[in-house]
Amino acid sequence: MSQLLTVENLRIAFPSRKGPVEVVRGVSFSLGRERLGIVGESGSGKSQTGRAILGLTPVSGTATAERLEFDGINLRNASPRQWRKLRGARMSMVMQDPKFSLNPVMTVGRQLMEAVKLHGGKTEARDKSLAMLEAVQIRDPERVMAAYPHELSGGMGQRAMIAMMLITEPDLLIADEPTSALDVTVQIEVLRILDRLVTERGMGLVFISHDLRLVATFCDRVLVMYAGRVVEELDARHMDQASHPYTRGLLNCLPTISGDTRPLPVLARDDAWLE
Amino acid sequence: MALIDIENLEVTFSGGGRHVRALTGVSLAVEEEDSFGIVGESGSGKSTVLRALCGLTPVTAGRISIDGKPVPSPRDQAFYRRVQMVFQDPYASLHPRHTIDRVLSEPLVIHGLDHVEKRVEQALEDVGLGAGFRFRYPHQLSGGQRQRVAIARALILEPKIILLDEPTSALDASIQAEVLNLLDRLRAQRGLTYILVSHDLAVVSHMCDRLVVMQSGEVVEELTREALQAHETTQTYTRNLLTASAGFTRSPARPR
Repeated sequence: MSQLLTVENLRIAFPSRKGPVEVVRGVSFSLGRERLGIVGESGSGKSQTGRAILGLTPVSGTATAERLEFDGINLRNASPRQWRKLRGARMSMVMQDPKFSLNPVMTVGRQLMEAVKLHGGKTEARDKSLAMLEAVQIRDPERVMAAYPHELSGGMGQRAMIAMMLITEPDLLIADEPTSALDVTVQIEVLRILDRLVTERGMGLVFISHDLRLVATFCDRVLVMYAGRVVEELDARHMDQASHPYTRGLLNCLPTISGDTRPLPVLARDDAWLE
Repeated sequence: MALIDIENLEVTFSGGGRHVRALTGVSLAVEEEDSFGIVGESGSGKSTVLRALCGLTPVTAGRISIDGKPVPSPRDQAFYRRVQMVFQDPYASLHPRHTIDRVLSEPLVIHGLDHVEKRVEQALEDVGLGAGFRFRYPHQLSGGQRQRVAIARALILEPKIILLDEPTSALDASIQAEVLNLLDRLRAQRGLTYILVSHDLAVVSHMCDRLVVMQSGEVVEELTREALQAHETTQTYTRNLLTASAGFTRSPARPR
């Protein structure tokens, strides 16, 4: 399988009073045209990994890697000009909360059309935007085009956000907790949209989430991160074969509808996992 | 007779000439030492039930009674000695510039209780934090530790009824397990009555003996834990929730 994205030994550090703190410590993986899940708890470095791929590490931090390649393009020393050509057009990102990631004083339509216009296609911007909103299962695209983000529900806002990220038909989509702010029933609908885009358009998807159960059912492969490192890589169909105690602990501590274990097993952390 | 009895509760929010009917006639009965769950999606009115119960939201119509006596409006001190609430977001529910000691001793002072120092230390001990946390500020604690403080604050008045509004949805899975175990243990030790609101069916199924499913301001179904586990539901909405909770499924083309 041709590799769309290759990451080797990615390290991200932030300065602190006690000297630089590494939040991502040597992450390596490659991605084809598939769904890759990255799971971990808050602070495990999963979001920073996703941001670094798009060159969006906050200015105070430094990201270094031995290799960071997207479709044969070396991203490590890409100029701002090269980044502008790639971001949005060929690789894009869906953030967690539509409330904070859509511009509150622009209608959804204007934001969508801005994305189309920036990456060519000035004339058909409006038609393309309407078609894209339909593609993400928005029933009344005309109304949504004219609406401001606060006039939409969370699920609608997140769909509009996904539409905006996909309107340029990128090859790589990084989705950082795209459904965590949504209700379970809406969540499944949004995932189906992403799923179709991967299967039909052959897009590569990096799906970042804290929800191990969801990732296991949605993705093809799963990376489990703990304290800035990948502790285990698993085939999503064989989650039950997880061998790392952290992954096992995470799987066990979730309450289930059918189960009745009480008290719930809690995760006993081991300092050895940090190595 | 039920400990908490809610009959035809209606809450309407009005503003700018618009009326939003958040609750359209909700009736619930919660027995003493019961753990009662409310599930539903955002906007279904599940949190509004709790807020109306403890007097944070004005009630438009309906009756709320505890132990057969209607609750006074505004709620009096005696009410808050019996009923306390734990909120969803431990980052927003603790005063950022008050130490844990001040957070915990304030309700004691308001209610004129003695042995403040001893009670604060005991409350911290009960939630598994220890006296070392007493003079810290919320920003020095993790999310799970903050939620423990919020639980300690609710318990310090020794109430009998605890209203839990999504107590673990802001927490990581591993921390969620710890907090759920803590809540379970405290209920068994002290004979507490819980009303737990959550969007997570698995959490409610783990914690509660009985639950109601809410949708657009109404109770659509009432279930026991056994019925939920056996998927014995008559409502399509509940069934959808159950399927969605099981994870992602690649369904065939879905008619809308």
